[in-house]
Amino acid sequence: MSKLSSTYFRSLRPYFTGRSIQCQRQSICMRPKTVTAPGRRCFTSGARDRAAVGVFTPTAAALFVATGVGLFYYFRYEKQKLLEQRQKELESRSVGRAHVGGPFTLTTHENKPFSDQDLLGKWNFVYFGFTNCPDICPAELDKIGSVMTSLEQDYGTIFQPVFISVDPARDSVSQMKTYLTDFHPHIIGLTGDYATVKTTCKAYRVYFSTPPDADPKDDYLVDHSIYVYLMDPNGQFVEAFGQSSTPDEVVERVKKEISEFEKETGRKV
Amino acid sequence: MGWFSRSSAEQSPAATRQDRQKCWESRDQYFECLDGVGVLTAGEEGTACTKSKFQYEKSCAKSWIDYFNKRRVLAEKQKDMLAQSQLQTQEVKRKL
Repeated sequence: MSKLSSTYFRSLRPYFTGRSIQCQRQSICMRPKTVTAPGRRCFTSGARDRAAVGVFTPTAAALFVATGVGLFYYFRYEKQKLLEQRQKELESRSVGRAHVGGPFTLTTHENKPFSDQDLLGKWNFVYFGFTNCPDICPAELDKIGSVMTSLEQDYGTIFQPVFISVDPARDSVSQMKTYLTDFHPHIIGLTGDYATVKTTCKAYRVYFSTPPDADPKDDYLVDHSIYVYLMDPNGQFVEAFGQSSTPDEVVERVKKEISEFEKETGRKV
Repeated sequence: MGWFSRSSAEQSPAATRQDRQKCWESRDQYFECLDGVGVLTAGEEGTACTKSKFQYEKSCAKSWIDYFNKRRVLAEKQKDMLAQSQLQTQEVKRKL
């Protein structure tokens, strides 16, 4: 045998001796137990059973069961929480919200500046149109008016309808002022220079056809998107109402949105 | 009627609620007359609806008249198309 292998066996010897001692000790320890505990214990024979009993004490069993039950309820609770969260996300308007709206500064029909910041803190109806509009704009503005009257009866003055002109060449501040005397008194008319109106329309995903060099004296019509946008008090887009939505439908929808907003944010407007 | 006549260099004010109402009424009368003589496209009726046409042109701006006339034709085409599609769906249902 080489020198190397002999050292190898020598080094292993203490391990084997140690183990044999342990085995001896265990059998010594176990023996009194089997003797003192007759009955059931007598029938459990063999080192394996005894070892199992040695690890699996009643305390350990109780701990095991308790941990199991605890984990079971913990996971069930976590799963429930996850489900609730997902449900809330589904219901919440903040998920999958369309990116409509953006910064702008225009002039009101009272010749005061008005920016997107002035939309905050109120429920806004934003509508784009022009004063020389043959039939759709006045009909939509009247619809906003009737919706306003109905909602203000229930909620007070927490609404702000905004009418943004897509015909800045003709819709001057005074023109807007005269035009709006025919409609709900709370409607705010907004106009500005062509570039500002264009950027505002772009932010609101509104298309319009007025050429930048339109002659105010000309008799022309403007083709434009005809949606009424509902924006929440945080200035976030909520819904777009088309021509086919009736005033009652709009009122119902707005009421639902208000109660949901109050639930979500915990505050009233 | 002042607001729609564009002879002067001044920009005319937008139509008021009364102006609009008047225009829509005259339009409806004129279109009713066209329906009566079986004409779809305004202007093809000859001398049949001169009176209501005069009132219509007096009460509405030129751009509005163009728009209403075009829409009348489009609405009719749409009606035809809707009727046709309905017929087609009915036929398909019958075959099924």
